[in-house]
Amino acid sequence: MSLLRISDLRVSYPGPSGPVEVLHGLDLDVEAGARVALVGESGSGKSVAARAILRLDTDAALAGSIRLSGTELTGLPAKRLRAVRGSGAGLVFQDPLAALNPVRTIGWQIMQPLVIRGVRRSEARRRGIELLGRLGVRDAGHRFDDYPHEFSGGMRQRAVIAIAVIAEPKLLIADEPTTALDVRVQAQVLELLSGLADERHMAVLLITHDLGIVASFAESVVVLRHGRVVERGLTDDIYYRPAHPYTRGLLGAVPRIDADPSVRLATVPPGTAAADAGPGDDPGQPEMPGEKQNETESP
Amino acid sequence: MTGPGATSLTARLLGRPAPLTARAGSRRRSPVIERVAVAVVLFVVLIAIIGPWLAPQDPYLVNLPDSLQPPSMAHWFGTDVNGRDILSRVLTGARTTLSATFIVLAVTTAIGILIGTAAALAGRVADEILMRVCDVGLALPPIVLALGLAAALGPSLTSAVIAMIATWWPGYARLVRTVVTETRDAEFVEGARMLGVGRARLIFRHILPNSLNIMYVQVTLDVAAVMLVISGLSFVGVGAQVPSAEWGAMIAAAANNVQNGWWALLFPGLAIALTAVAFNIAGDWLRVRTDPTLRGR
Amino acid sequence: MIIVFAGLVVVAFLLTHVLPGDPAQAAAGRNATADQVATVRASLGLNDPLIVQFARYARGLLHGDLGTSVFTHEPVMSDIGQVLPSSIELVIAAMVINIAVAVPLGVLSAYRQGRLADIAARLVVVLGAAVPVFWLALILQLVFADQLKILPLSGQLGFGYSVPHRTGIVTLDALLAGDPGAFFDAVSHLILPAVTLAAAFIAVITRTVRSSMLGVLEADYITLARATGASEWRVVIQHGLRNALLPTTTILGMQLGWMLGATVLVESTFNRTGIGAYMVTAVLQDDLYAVIGSILVIGVVFIVANFLVDLLQLWLNPRLRETGRTAAPSGAGDAGTDVPLELAR
Repeated sequence: MSLLRISDLRVSYPGPSGPVEVLHGLDLDVEAGARVALVGESGSGKSVAARAILRLDTDAALAGSIRLSGTELTGLPAKRLRAVRGSGAGLVFQDPLAALNPVRTIGWQIMQPLVIRGVRRSEARRRGIELLGRLGVRDAGHRFDDYPHEFSGGMRQRAVIAIAVIAEPKLLIADEPTTALDVRVQAQVLELLSGLADERHMAVLLITHDLGIVASFAESVVVLRHGRVVERGLTDDIYYRPAHPYTRGLLGAVPRIDADPSVRLATVPPGTAAADAGPGDDPGQPEMPGEKQNETESP
Repeated sequence: MTGPGATSLTARLLGRPAPLTARAGSRRRSPVIERVAVAVVLFVVLIAIIGPWLAPQDPYLVNLPDSLQPPSMAHWFGTDVNGRDILSRVLTGARTTLSATFIVLAVTTAIGILIGTAAALAGRVADEILMRVCDVGLALPPIVLALGLAAALGPSLTSAVIAMIATWWPGYARLVRTVVTETRDAEFVEGARMLGVGRARLIFRHILPNSLNIMYVQVTLDVAAVMLVISGLSFVGVGAQVPSAEWGAMIAAAANNVQNGWWALLFPGLAIALTAVAFNIAGDWLRVRTDPTLRGR
Repeated sequence: MIIVFAGLVVVAFLLTHVLPGDPAQAAAGRNATADQVATVRASLGLNDPLIVQFARYARGLLHGDLGTSVFTHEPVMSDIGQVLPSSIELVIAAMVINIAVAVPLGVLSAYRQGRLADIAARLVVVLGAAVPVFWLALILQLVFADQLKILPLSGQLGFGYSVPHRTGIVTLDALLAGDPGAFFDAVSHLILPAVTLAAAFIAVITRTVRSSMLGVLEADYITLARATGASEWRVVIQHGLRNALLPTTTILGMQLGWMLGATVLVESTFNRTGIGAYMVTAVLQDDLYAVIGSILVIGVVFIVANFLVDLLQLWLNPRLRETGRTAAPSGAGDAGTDVPLELAR
């Protein structure tokens, strides 16, 4: 049984004239210990999906099913949902500075998930320092009592990761964890996540628009566009044999160090059939503007 | 700050529908309360203008046998300790209280714009000096300074008005200075200057109009505050004097006989409160309409 | 700060020379002859050029000499010293009520934004801010003291109670004297005036807290706190509130000064001693130095209160400690750090 099974998830937000659906039936499976990447541009609905799993948006109306370790999360009463958050699944955000409370010490924030579960403060502190050190923060014992503005970007992200995993969740949802970081630090953070995942047999759902990092990290990939899945598969398959024109467009857009600089990066022009093609369409070559193609959009 | 291409304040007020809020999913409550407030504001201003003619009875005529009559068909709001019809006095007093308030606001706005613009555009030294002066003015609670000044000038409504003006202008000067400084440094001004637009034209056609938007809002919001201080001064005894129907003075007069004539106390106070509420709500609404980043707050 | 105070002194002094009524006349008494008045004038140094009078006054100030009350013939400083504690008692009580009511109301209002609790709270708040404080005093007296008879009408202690004067703060003195009966009586006398004074300020603070809180509640760190499984209560209070209070404390500090100023409208009605009542009497009696003294003292309290609040900010906002800059707290949003001018009155 999958650790996380999302079936036909639809998410709507209230709009000026009625609810607006932004995620149109997402199906997603994450096995225990697996690494899955959810990929898409801004606005594709990937962050919506991430927040929906833990029901973090009070505005959002959910339809469909989200099962974590067999427990159905949609419709779960608040008290039980809170138990799941943090110890069932943890969340890492994009901007570590915004994700950290500026008026509380890093240590206090790391200890909170344990404190609210009844762990004694001294014990929580010990485990927090240990975790922070494990994540590569030198002199963790002292830095534990620093404030977020006294940390560098990479260290802040480590703190955010510590907060997310300290209650030992089986699933880590990482929403653009490296976007706000330097390239060098990005690699470090990804390695950290990788190491953690291995140690704890923790599954990771990596949500990103950056196909470059997906390749080295995730085993399987789900591509999202305009709230719909347009392609899914093993990483290798997607990268070497992309089936959908949109995916091809995305891949072509990734700068490569060995590419011929005189060839322009591929883009997916908005409004072309390639961009709008539904998941079940005949792949073929990306369309040139002006040509028509069948647009059967699967529900 | 808004650039020269932005729609004018009036255009925005008169009917462009409110755009979507940035945050997906915010509910928009229909602006019933705000509309009512604006209606009340207009009503009060109307009363201030024609009140004295609407008054059914002479607001100043002393009629002791009728002293402290409760509200009745003859006297809708009852009579005060001197037998005067309270409804008539409230209607007449509207003009007194509100015209005093508006005079204060008009003059302080003018002074504020003058000094604020001067501070922002006339160089560091002028800026420093003028702002220090403002600091002194702002270092006291307004009522205290106004009280001292009004007392110094001799108790009368005129003194109260002058005292209020002296107390209030530093706040506006400060505000205008800040806004003009921002606008001065904005790119569109730089662009205009490079095109050879003359200094005066620059000030009057480009810098000032953008600064004024914020003043409209501030002034509307301040109507209540100024009115409260002026009526407070009258209450204490250094503003409008007997037999003026100024609302604060009416409250002071009623204070001695509250048990026997609560109506004499109630109605002038309600008048002040209602006017203040209406202006505050209207001012708030104005602020939200002219600054889109504040929607939903 | 010094400059401002100096400016205050100048303004205060200049005021005296516009005040009508001849201080020498008032000091000499109603029935004094012209000669006697002239003598008094000379002895008060009122014949000297303005500059000399000012220099004398300023020098006196440095020694804590605020001149002599023309009315009581006592030094103004000691007069004010007698009455100030009572005002401080009133202001502190009003502040306590203010914070105790406005902060929870603001938080609730923000948390339930757009819903009934929010709208009701904001309506009550708007009314509180629009009602003239001197009128509210009278209305509250009418309702609670006269009609319902559950609170005392005026004064600071009931008939038959007395408390030895130690600090001048009646409630404190009652505690120090170990007299619980007097203490509760003093407190009951404090309720109506304190509530009256607090009403308008509650409106401002509720709005500020609400505004800051709205910004804070949208911040990522709040979402993240929820994601760790914290209860809503914990998220809002433990994680969020401290951030929302940062801009609020600045305004609270300013309100201390404004409240003290507002005592001029409240103390007389409730027959309380205090600098407000003192100043009103002084103004109505043309008591020159008493008026100036009152203005100066209130101004000093105002400036000191703001200074203390700045210190408080350092404690509350860790980011200020390093750089000394006034950094905007993250997540408090534009409306949170922006202090609308109507609050500045």
